[in-house]
Amino acid sequence: MSTADQRVPAFARRFFDPARRLSRIGSGALGGKARGLITAARVLEEQRAPLETAGLAFDVPALAVVTTEVFESFLERNGLRAVVAEEPSDEVIKVAFREATLPAEWLGDLRSLAKDARVPLACRSSSALEDALGRPFAGVYGTKMIPGNQPDADGRFRALIDAVKFVFASTFLQGARAYRRALGQSEAEAMAVVVQEVVGRRHDGRFYPDLSGVARSFSFYPVGPARPEDGVVDLALGLGKTIVDGGLCWSFSPAHPRVGPPVGSVRERLRTTQSEFWAVNVGPPPAYDPMAETEYLTRACLAEAEADGTLRYAASTYDADSDRLVPGTGRPGPRVLDFAPVLLWNELPLVGAVRGLMAACEKTLGAPVEIEFAFSLPPGELFRLGVLQVRPLLVSHDAVLVEDAELSAPQAVVASVAALGNGSCELHDVVYVEPAAFEARLTPAIAAEIERLNRPLVEAGRPYLLIGFGRWGSSDPWLGIPVRWDQIAGARAIVEATLPQMNTEPSQGSHFFHNLSSFSVLYFTVSQAAGRGIDWGWLEEQQTVARTDHVRHVRARAPLRVKADGRSRRGVVLRA
Amino acid sequence: MAMKGVNPYEMAQAQFDKVAALLDLDRATRELLRQPLREYGFSIPVRMDDGRVQVFRGFRVQHNDARGPSKGGIRFHPQETLDTVRALAMWMTWKCALVDIPLGGGKGGVVCDPHHLSQREQEQICRGWVRQMARNVGPDADVPAPDVMTSGQHMLWMLDEFEQIHGGHFPGFITGKPVGLGGSEGRTEATGYGVVFAIREALKQLGLEVRKTRASVQGFGNVAQYAIRLYRQIGGTVTTVSCWDQEDQVSYSFRKEQGVDPDQLASIADRFGGIDKAKAKALGYEVLPGEAWLEQPVEILIPAALENQVRGDNAPCIKATVKLIAEGANGPTTPEADAVVQDKGIFLIPDFLANAGGVTCSYFEQVQSNMNYFWEKDEVLAKLDVKMTSAFHAVSELSRKRRLFTRDAAYVIAISRVAQACRDRGWV
Repeated sequence: MSTADQRVPAFARRFFDPARRLSRIGSGALGGKARGLITAARVLEEQRAPLETAGLAFDVPALAVVTTEVFESFLERNGLRAVVAEEPSDEVIKVAFREATLPAEWLGDLRSLAKDARVPLACRSSSALEDALGRPFAGVYGTKMIPGNQPDADGRFRALIDAVKFVFASTFLQGARAYRRALGQSEAEAMAVVVQEVVGRRHDGRFYPDLSGVARSFSFYPVGPARPEDGVVDLALGLGKTIVDGGLCWSFSPAHPRVGPPVGSVRERLRTTQSEFWAVNVGPPPAYDPMAETEYLTRACLAEAEADGTLRYAASTYDADSDRLVPGTGRPGPRVLDFAPVLLWNELPLVGAVRGLMAACEKTLGAPVEIEFAFSLPPGELFRLGVLQVRPLLVSHDAVLVEDAELSAPQAVVASVAALGNGSCELHDVVYVEPAAFEARLTPAIAAEIERLNRPLVEAGRPYLLIGFGRWGSSDPWLGIPVRWDQIAGARAIVEATLPQMNTEPSQGSHFFHNLSSFSVLYFTVSQAAGRGIDWGWLEEQQTVARTDHVRHVRARAPLRVKADGRSRRGVVLRA
Repeated sequence: MAMKGVNPYEMAQAQFDKVAALLDLDRATRELLRQPLREYGFSIPVRMDDGRVQVFRGFRVQHNDARGPSKGGIRFHPQETLDTVRALAMWMTWKCALVDIPLGGGKGGVVCDPHHLSQREQEQICRGWVRQMARNVGPDADVPAPDVMTSGQHMLWMLDEFEQIHGGHFPGFITGKPVGLGGSEGRTEATGYGVVFAIREALKQLGLEVRKTRASVQGFGNVAQYAIRLYRQIGGTVTTVSCWDQEDQVSYSFRKEQGVDPDQLASIADRFGGIDKAKAKALGYEVLPGEAWLEQPVEILIPAALENQVRGDNAPCIKATVKLIAEGANGPTTPEADAVVQDKGIFLIPDFLANAGGVTCSYFEQVQSNMNYFWEKDEVLAKLDVKMTSAFHAVSELSRKRRLFTRDAAYVIAISRVAQACRDRGWV
C-alpha cells in the first residue's frame, strides 16, 4: 500500500461520519478510481476559496473503498484463481464469484456500512492496473448501483455484497480480459471497489441526479468554434451511465456554452438528443438477478422526467409553428434535452462552476483533467455538485502534420477532413464492413461478426484499421453498429463512414470514443458528401485473411501509414 | 463434570454476589438471579445392547428466561452433577445477555460415558431425554444444543423424537444440526472467529498493529484452529500451540518462531486435536513442555482448551511482552490469576465475551430454523462480527468509564440487562 493510500483512514463502521467521508476497508491498494476521488477531495479542500460559488456546494459524496486486500483474500480463500485461470465463460465466472464467501474479517464492516446507508450506493470498480498505468479503464469493469431502500439491514447487506462480488467478477470477464490483452498487460489485475453515495433525489420509484456530466479540459474532439484546449463537457439527465455508455448526450465547450453539437436541422436535433435516462430503481423490487449490472437500474422517458419536475433546467420545447426550440418547458410540445435554461440563460451556476473546477483540478494535477460530476437540486437547500472522479487526461502532443494534398494523393486509402485524435501508426490489417452487403437492420449481426474477427487479431497482437458505417457503438442499432469496446479492442484506427442507407450524424465526442482516444486510437469520419473517401477498389484487391457474411479482413503486403492531425483535423491512411 | 475441589455452582453464585453488590441490586432480584428458575431431574431407562435395562440420570436447568427462551447445551459425562449444570446454566444467561441476543440461560446433561455406549444406546438416551422433557422444552421455551460429548447426530435424534411427539416439523427446537439438515453455515467457524473479532477490536484499542503481533495458543480443537486461521489471515503470527497428548497423557507445546501453519498441524493431528510429536519435529517444530505456551514472548495469549489453566502459580511466568489475553475456553483463568493479570496491566477479554461467537451463531441457527430459510455464510459471519464487536465495545467502554476489570465490566452489563428484564416483566 502506498503512503497516499495509508493516509485514508480505516472505516469506523459509520458511513456518514463527517470526520471520515473517505475511508477504506482492508489495508490493500485503493485502485485508480479511488485515487481519483482522493485527488478530488484534496482539490476541494485546497481550492475552497477559488471554487466558492453562490448557492452551490461542492463535495465528494461519502465513500468507503473495499481495498485490493479484500479482493486478493476473496480469490485466495475461495480457490477462484484456479477457476479464472481456465478462462471459462462469463456466466461460469459470475456464478463462482456469487457463491463464494467474502473474507470473514471484513464482513462486519460491510454489514455496518449497509446498516448505516439507507440511500442508493454506487459500487464502482477501482483497478490497481488502471492506477499503475495511469489510464482510465472506463466501462471495462463492472459498476453496480444498489438502491438502499430495503427496510431491513439484511436486505441492504445482501445487495451490497452481491454488488461487490459482481465488481470482483467483472475483473475476469471476457471484455476485461480482451482489454488487458490489447494493452499488452498479462500481469494479474487487482481490484478495489469504491462504495459511494449516489448524488440525486428520489422521485417516486426513481432516484437520480438532475444532471450528470463529464468534463475534459482538453479535447481533440472539439465542438463548434472551440479549440482543443477549451475542453468539452458532456451533459445528460439522470445517472452518468448515459454518457459512459456512449448514449445520446449534450456536448458543449465551456468556452462556448451556447454552441451545441452541429446538426442539419431542428428536427434532427429532436432525433439526436437524449430521449431516455437512467435512474436507480427505488420502487418495487426488481427480479432477483445479482450478477446483472442493471439489476437495480431503470430507464425512463422524458415524460416521466417531466412528471418528476426534472426537465425544468434541462429541456427546450419544439415549436412546430416556428420550427425552432424554445428554452424551458413552459409550453406544450416535444421536449429536447439541450440544457438551454442552464447554458443559454445561466439559470444554474453550472458552467462557471465546472470551469472553476476544471481550472482548480488542472492546477493541482499540473495536467489536463477529466472530471465526472453529478448535479442535484434539493428543494430549499444549496445546489449540490458531487465530484465523482478526477483524473489526469492523456493528451498526445506529438506534432503530426497532414497536408491537404495528401488527402487526394493516389496512395490515400482513407481520407478525412473530420479526423479526431492526434498521432500516427503503421499497420497491415484492415477489417471492413462490405458496403454492398450492408443494411441497417443487420447491424447487431455485424457487431458479432466484428467481434469474431477482432479476437484472433488481439491474440496475435496485430493492430488493425476498422471501417464501418454509421455511429460506432450506437445504442440504437438503426443509427450504427452497436459494438462494445471489447468487440473492437484491437482496432488502432477507426473509420466511421456513411452510406445512403446509413447517413447519420457522426458520433463525435462521446465518452465511448474518448475512451478509445485514451488508447490513442485514431478516429476518422468519412462522409460521402465530403467528396473524399475510401478506396474500396484497393481494399477489394487485398488478400483475404477471413470473411464473414458482411465483414472482410484483409492484409496489405506493405504497411499502411495512418495519420491524424488533431489541430487541422485532417486524417489519412496511406498505402506504400 | 465437577471441578476438582471447587463447586462450580458456588463459584458462579459468588461471582454473581460480587457484581450484585456493585450494581446494588435489591434483595428480591438477587434471590431470583442467584438460583435457577426451574430445574428438572429425571430417570431415563434404556434397554442396552446386551438386553438388560440401565437407568441413566438426566437433568435440565433453566436458570432464567426473562430475556427469551432458555438456551444451552446438553452434556454427556460420567461425572456430571446437578451443581455443574446449574452453574453452566447461569453462565449461559449472562453470556446471552452480554452479546445481547434475546435468549435466557439453560443447560442439561446426562450422567453417562459415551465411550462405553454404542450408537444405538446413545440414540435411546437422546430420545429418552426428550420424552422426559418434551413438554418443557421447544422453540419458544428452551432450545438445547450440543456440548461435551454430544454432536450434531445427537441433536438430530433429539429433534426427531421431539417432532414425533408433537407431530410436525420444529427445526428451531434444537441447534448444532448439520448444514443441510437445519444447521447454519458458519457455525463451525463461529466460536474461533468470534475470539479473533474480539482480539482485532482489542488491538485497535491498545494501538497495536495486528501484523506486528504474535500469539501463543493453548489447545488445538475446533475453537483454537479457527481462531488461529483467522488471526493469521488478518496478519498475525502464531508462534506456539499446545495440546493434549492422548498417548502420553500430558500436554506439549509446539513452537515455530516464524509462525505455525494450522493446516499443516491439522494434517498431523488426531480427531481430538492431539498433534503427532515426531511428525511435528520433522516439520521443523520445537516440541516443548505443555506449560511452555504460557511463557512465550508474544503479545497475545489465547487459552482455548480447558478451565483453570492460568492460575496463581503459573500466571507470574507470563512474559512482559504480553498485552492481551483472549479466553477462548470457559473459565481458563482462576480468580488468583486474574489478580496477577491485572497487576501486569494485561487487557483481558473474558471467556463469556471472547467465546460468545458459538452461542450467537446458535441463535442465528435457531432464527433460520424457525423461518426455515437459511442464510449464506457471508450473512452469518457478518452478523456475528457486528454482534461480537458491539459486545466488545460495550464491555471495554464500561471498563474504562468505571475503571472496572473487564471481566467485572462484562458481568455488570450482562447481569444488569437480565435484572432489568425481570423488573420490566414485573417479576421483582
